[in-house]
Amino acid sequence: MTARAAITGVGVVSPFGLGRDAFFDGLAAGATAVGPIRSFDADSFPTAVAGEVPLPVIDPDALIAELGARGATRAAAVVEPLARGGALRDRKIAFGLLAAAEAWRHAGLGDGAGDRAAHLVLGLGLEQAFLDDFAPIFAGGAIRWDAEPGAPLPPTRFRTPVDACARACHRLLGLTGPTVVNASACAAGALAVAHAAALIARGTADVVVCGASDSMVNPLGIGGMSRLGAPSPRRAPDACRPFDRRRDGLAIGEGAAVFVVEAEGRARARGARALATVLGAGSTQDAYRATAPRPDGAAAAAAIARALARAGLAPADLGYVNAHGTGTPLNDPAECRALHRALGDHAARVPVSSIKGAIGHLMAAAGAIELAACVMALTRDLLPGTAHHRERDPDCDVDVLGPAPVARAVAHTLSNSFGFGGQNAAVILGRAS
Amino acid sequence: MSHAVGIAPVTIAAWALRTPLGRDVDRVIARLCAGERAARPNPHPGYRCAAIAPIVEVPAASRHERYVSRMGLHGMQAAIEAFAASGLAAGPRLGVFAAVGGLRASWADLLPAFRDQRDDGAGAWARGLGAIHPFWMLRHLSNNAHALLAGELGARGDGATYAGATAGAAALAGAARALQAGSIDAALVVAYDSLLEPETLVELGERRAAWCGGPGVDPSAAPAPYQDDAAGAIPGEAAAALVLVPAARDGLARLRAVDGADGDREPRAASLARAIARLGAPAAVIDGAARAWPDLDAAERAAVAAAVGDDAMLTATTAALGQLGAATAVVQAITLAAALRRGTIPPIAGLRAPSPGPLALPARAVATRATAAIGLSTGVPGLVGAVHVEVAGGP
Repeated sequence: MTARAAITGVGVVSPFGLGRDAFFDGLAAGATAVGPIRSFDADSFPTAVAGEVPLPVIDPDALIAELGARGATRAAAVVEPLARGGALRDRKIAFGLLAAAEAWRHAGLGDGAGDRAAHLVLGLGLEQAFLDDFAPIFAGGAIRWDAEPGAPLPPTRFRTPVDACARACHRLLGLTGPTVVNASACAAGALAVAHAAALIARGTADVVVCGASDSMVNPLGIGGMSRLGAPSPRRAPDACRPFDRRRDGLAIGEGAAVFVVEAEGRARARGARALATVLGAGSTQDAYRATAPRPDGAAAAAAIARALARAGLAPADLGYVNAHGTGTPLNDPAECRALHRALGDHAARVPVSSIKGAIGHLMAAAGAIELAACVMALTRDLLPGTAHHRERDPDCDVDVLGPAPVARAVAHTLSNSFGFGGQNAAVILGRAS
Repeated sequence: MSHAVGIAPVTIAAWALRTPLGRDVDRVIARLCAGERAARPNPHPGYRCAAIAPIVEVPAASRHERYVSRMGLHGMQAAIEAFAASGLAAGPRLGVFAAVGGLRASWADLLPAFRDQRDDGAGAWARGLGAIHPFWMLRHLSNNAHALLAGELGARGDGATYAGATAGAAALAGAARALQAGSIDAALVVAYDSLLEPETLVELGERRAAWCGGPGVDPSAAPAPYQDDAAGAIPGEAAAALVLVPAARDGLARLRAVDGADGDREPRAASLARAIARLGAPAAVIDGAARAWPDLDAAERAAVAAAVGDDAMLTATTAALGQLGAATAVVQAITLAAALRRGTIPPIAGLRAPSPGPLALPARAVATRATAAIGLSTGVPGLVGAVHVEVAGGP
């Protein structure tokens, strides 16, 4: 009932490119991948920059080839129906497939029944609505749904099912285990990994494929967020400036990070290399407001404290904090207060950074890709920097790393994820034994 | 594999629901046992899907209307009602676990954005997207009802929102895990879904997953599931909430749940059988997924019979309530527990000539001394959720 969860595989699709190496190398270089949106015409939008995966169009043949290069033997059987049905217009499906295939191969898993019995727990964002599907049935100021049957539309119409990416990943890997979709907004990815670790710890599963994929880089996603006022109005690569005194909003990003998590003993027995261990996780709810975090950070601090307790660690054991760090006026100081509440004096000493300035806010996938950044910290002994953080804010009085990464070996990392409406998650990783 | 077979139970302390057959649990059970069907003609005659099972009641007026859609409000209000009935206190030891079917967007909200769009998407913001309501995004976030509910009640413990066809079972399983880990003292589980949004009805009709009937055909004549002439399910909608506490406490029933068993490389029956096996608890009454297509139904019956024996009773509350998507598992937990407490198993509404096969299929309500039942819910393709409820001593 207390098996430890080891991460044995990592797959990433990020604004730096395809693959974990592109992601790690981008962070290691202190680079920025936020730039002008290319996948649709965003010139007229208030938000014209994003952390966009450098695939303006998801080409089915190219996707099949990329998946094949990652060892996926069922790529064509999975991708071709998605392409025929129009589902690949939802970019997060392709991102999830690529990340899952990479993680599976990285872990050295195969086609045996034991591997295929893996559970799948994915954090996913909103269903994507397809504006172009409505044109044939829009008439006289209304949508004529009853006119639709004869319209020349693809089988996936109007929107993708919320679990479409999970279904596709399940088929791609040929899994037979249970599938769960976590839709807890920006905390979904972290909660998916926490869920996986709990399944391992309880002995419910031996192997779990977990993580998250999301893309809101589409007209309704960017448009809806713009109307909400969340993105920075700046139309420049430094739109998102976490913890900086001048911060004025987030940059939207897209991508995926998927992990293979398995019982440490199983990984050892099959000779797999453990990259990190999931030591503890905690979740709480602010119970405060729909549109703002709890300013005192009390509930977020409780999530961090719970993660520490489950990991059996003291605050001083933490060597690095990957912050939620959205770069919005309200989030960053609330998160710093949470760190002070949870970590006490150590909050002023532990290095803190946010990678959202570099790649944007990946929404449902944010917690997952930020855990991947923690894996980099543990395996490369390199703490990612905070892109575009230059002017210290007295309201954010923690040790925020600047844009450059810092070489340092740490034993334990904390990753925070705070979702819409006050959904808090904290996950602690440890160096693999 | 070293999977622990068998799921530890938790206790149901309170419940509430909103269904096409009403919101009072005892009254809903009475109507189920009377064989009532909630199906009514689809008021939009151009749809292939011929019948729907809607919730007639509208949600109470709420200050949250600007953030949450109709079904989210139904879910919140059922949850608040269930929590009040539990008599428990909110705070940092109360968790909230939610299940939603998906976006189910209210497309009418987007009409101003669609009106002047060009096919190539050029100038989309100026052509209408800039006119969408600032809260449009909030209204369509997957966890909006969850977040607002936590705030309304002051629930600050663990929480998560699950999505998809079997999200209800996932939310129940997630809540049970948190209770058993000791991180919370009580969990409020809320599930809501509607399959009656226009695009869903269009899709279900085109795939023939929904009963399409014919011109002027009365929905009450729709063939029931598990008949040779079954030709699709009736889309429905529901919201339901449970308050769960640790198994050591007394309550309305014991509950076990498993989430999302699946199998793409094998027959669906294998997924069903594995889900029942993972529950690790016996039951002689099954509430089937009842997809209402002969091949799917036959596979389900074979799998259920293999798992629990040929003599078990197979009913289908969805024949009366309609298919309820992500809300199914939570509604099943309530209706099955309430039926067992009453000592009566509801019939398969509309069942006239069941297909040959294993299991006893009730055409009328059946008195029972059974104390345990299993509810199955399936999505497309192959996802399975399963709940097991057990009451003390029967009627």
